Parts: sequence; C-alpha cells; structure tokens
Amino acid sequence: MERSPVEFDQKFSGAAGDFPALLRGKGLLAPAPANSLSQAGTPPKAWQPTEATTILAFKFSGGVLVAGDRRATAGNTVVYDRADKVLEIDRQSIMAIAGVPATAWEMARVLEHSFQYFRRTQLQEMSVDGKVRALSKLLRDNFGFVMQGVGIVVPIFATYDFHPKPEARLYFYDAMGAQFEVTDYAATGSGSPAVRGILYYENNWGTKRLHELGEDEAVSIALRALDTAAESDTSTGGVDRSGKIYPLIKIVSREGIVTLPESKIAAVFKETVA
Amino acid sequence: MIEEPYRWVEAIANRREYIEAQLAPGSPIAALGYRDGILFLTMSQTRQKIFEIYDRIAMGAIGHPGDIERLRMAAIESASTEGFTRSATDVSLRRLVHYSLSPVMKAAFEQVYGAPYLARMLFAEIGERPEEDLFVRVEYDGEIATNGATYAQARQDFAALSGTQQSRDLMEAFLATQHGPEADLETTFNSALDAWSIGHMTLQTSDAKEQPERTAVAKHREEQLAIAGIEAALLERDAGRAIRYRLLSDKELRPLLRD
Repeated sequence: MERSPVEFDQKFSGAAGDFPALLRGKGLLAPAPANSLSQAGTPPKAWQPTEATTILAFKFSGGVLVAGDRRATAGNTVVYDRADKVLEIDRQSIMAIAGVPATAWEMARVLEHSFQYFRRTQLQEMSVDGKVRALSKLLRDNFGFVMQGVGIVVPIFATYDFHPKPEARLYFYDAMGAQFEVTDYAATGSGSPAVRGILYYENNWGTKRLHELGEDEAVSIALRALDTAAESDTSTGGVDRSGKIYPLIKIVSREGIVTLPESKIAAVFKETVA
Repeated sequence: MIEEPYRWVEAIANRREYIEAQLAPGSPIAALGYRDGILFLTMSQTRQKIFEIYDRIAMGAIGHPGDIERLRMAAIESASTEGFTRSATDVSLRRLVHYSLSPVMKAAFEQVYGAPYLARMLFAEIGERPEEDLFVRVEYDGEIATNGATYAQARQDFAALSGTQQSRDLMEAFLATQHGPEADLETTFNSALDAWSIGHMTLQTSDAKEQPERTAVAKHREEQLAIAGIEAALLERDAGRAIRYRLLSDKELRPLLRD
C-alpha cells in the first residue's frame, strides 16, 4: 500500500516535543558516530581540542552581557573576520560558541527549532532547566565527533528565567555536555585563560564587583578583556583597530535580548580602551 | 459493501451527514486581516481553539479535540521540518495544506472502514502587506477553500469558520460589508466579535437567511461576554521579528470593547 505523504504519528505523549528525535526519525539529523576509541585494534589517536576563539559572559546590573570576538581560523590561517559567535536562540536565550563553526551553528539551529517546536506542540514554554538540558544532550550526542578530532563545541548559555524568581542565568558547558551554572562570569575558547584572569581580578579587587557594573562599564571591561586575550592568542580577533571591526556584544535581560549597535561599542572603546 | 460502487457512495453520504451533525454545534472562529496583522477570535468556555503552527502561520479549528490535536501536530511537524532543513521563508501555508494535510484528510474520509477526521480548520498566513495575507479553510474531506484562489470572486481580507454553512455564510456576508484591510486593531476586534456573535446566534436557528437585527447581535454579544472568555491571537505584520504569533489575553482585549 502506498504511504501517505504525511505520516501521522499516533504516539502523542510528552515525547512528542523532542525535535531532534523527530529529525532523526526522518533521517535529517546525523546519528552520533561510533566512538573511534572504542574500536578494537586502533590505538587511540592523540587529539588536540581546537577552540580557537574567545567568548565571555558575565552578570552585571542590567542582566547578562555576552561578548565574542569575530575571528574564524583554520589552523594558522584567518579565514573570516566577521564571524558571529554569539547567537540568539529565542527571545531571551543566547548561545555563544567556541569550537568548530559548522557543528556549532548546526547545534544552535537544532536548539532554536527545538524550543519553538516544544512551545508549539506542547502549548507552553520550555523551562530554563529543560533548555539547559537540551543543549547538554546535543553536546553529548556530538561527543563521538569530538573524539575523532572534529566537531568540538564548548558553548556558553545565557538566559532569563521568570520562574520561580525572575533573574538572569548563566551556564557553561564542557565538550561532553556537563553543564555548570555560574554566579558571576564564564569564558570559553583559546583566549579564555587571560579573560578568566581579568574577570576574576575585576570581580574581587576591581572598583566594583561585576554584578554592580553599569552598562557602559560592563562593555568597557568586556572590550578590555577581549583585547587582552587577542594580545597573546592568535586565534582571537579582539578589536580590529584599522578595519574597525568590533566584538559582538549582546545583553540578556528581563525585556529580552539587545544587540549593542556598533556605534555604541565604538564610542566606549574610544573612550576607555584605545 | 464497498465492492458495489453505489454502496460506497451511500456510505460516504452517510458519513458526511454524520460528520456535519457532529461539527454543527462548533463555536465560530473569525480571522480578520488588518493593517498591522491578522486577528483570530473566538469565544470559549473550556478548551483552546486557536493555535500557533509556525513563524507566520496560525490555525483555528472546531471538531473533536483528539482529531484536531493529530492534525495540529502533523502541521507543526511538517512546517518545522521544512523550516529546519531549508529556511523559515520556505515554509508556505499553500504547500502545507495542498500537499500534506488535504490528501491525508481526503484519504481518511473516503476509507469507509477507517475513522475520518472530525475537524474543520482555518489557517492564516501573514504576508508583508494585507494583500498578501492568505486564508485557507480545510474541511474534514480534504476540501480546500481560500480567500483569493477562486478567481471569479473578489479577494477577501477575512475568513470565517463555523459549525454550519449557513452560519458561516452570514458571518462572511457581515464581514464583507463591515471590514476592510485598513482598519486598526480596535475596529477589527469589534468587527470580529460581532461576526462571531452573528455566527453563534445563527447556529441555533435552523433557517436564518437574513442578517439578525443589530440590537439582537449586541444583546447576544453582551450575554456571551458575561459567561465566556475571549480567546484571540495575533499574527503581527512587524517584519522585525521572525515569530509573528502572539496570544492576546481576555484582560488585554476587554478595554477595546465598543458598542
């Protein structure tokens, strides 16, 4: 018998909200590859995780600030200097990525569709814990690729939670999918050690603690941190003074997500960094 | 039974009669395109009847909740998969209805040993301008009616869905004279509510051919507002954001009421 063009799934339970499962069922999302280390006979290959970028996020008085440099590299070559690594997933969630762009952008796309698919089918917004877990699951599913030396992604996830207590929330992940909620700041990518140092210093001995900063002060610290990272890390673009290319900065707050206009970032840069 | 063709025709006719009777008490839904979007409106006491399908597509339905749910899921699944593999702009209501929903509903309706879908649906897709708004009604037998596809008839900026054809005809006749695409939200909301009242009143009378009296409509509207909630949703024309669907709460709408 000929099959109808739309297969109506009869199992409408809670599992119906799982968009990656739907994609896999239709053969539109690659299944996780077998882990190369588990294959008998082949010695484990030494692999070097490459997360050539710098992403940072911290809580300040107006929500969470997420900033990322714009450089994309392949080995020692700069391939692109206007990459967007700070991606909006829904009206109040941001995923910022360090790692292999192809995998990361696909992951962001799956995540974005997952949240919307859940809301549309289940007629309620996915909880923050649910969203955090959804990203964790994608990372876990991708781990086979990571072990093969391709496709590592180490993201930061920032969102605004309305329940039970309205507050901005910030998470970082490892490549296997473990999630860690942070109270103050997070950084990922090859330039992150320098950034972590700066944010730790600022938070403890700066003029103000990070969560007390105003917007301009927060932007200033983000720019200084990225510029510092770029100083020693070739994979981080920092601020391109001659090309006038600035990092991408987005702010998550109760009102949603704001992408800071380049003119504003340029003004703060000129005044406090350059 | 179905080896004999005339028996099959008879079975289909019976089934049609049965479904029509089941759908007849369904509370009407009006969808009106206006300057800033498309407004979906109905009054309900219990279950939700207006749903988000995709970025620019919404749906209203009457019928059996189980069947509505299955069709709704299928529509969301199909639109989401398309939007993911290609892009959100490639998701089109025309294709969703013509290639996915209608054939399935027709097949279910004509296979007399299986159960048909007890549902009648109204879809709308928001365009960049009011002239590009698309309204599509899909019947339980897979029949499709759109607001502009029949070339003999002038394009309409609205669509109605109701339990009986007579009720729907009267709603459409009312909207044809009362509603235009240049209206604002407040005017559109009041027209939609009046259209709903006309549709709801004429569900109960068996042979209403004429529009009910203005005062009778106002009275009916008043009575219903006291006992039922306004269920409404907007597809916003605002091109600044991808997702255009927004639920409007009863509390948000009541201040816009006009006599």
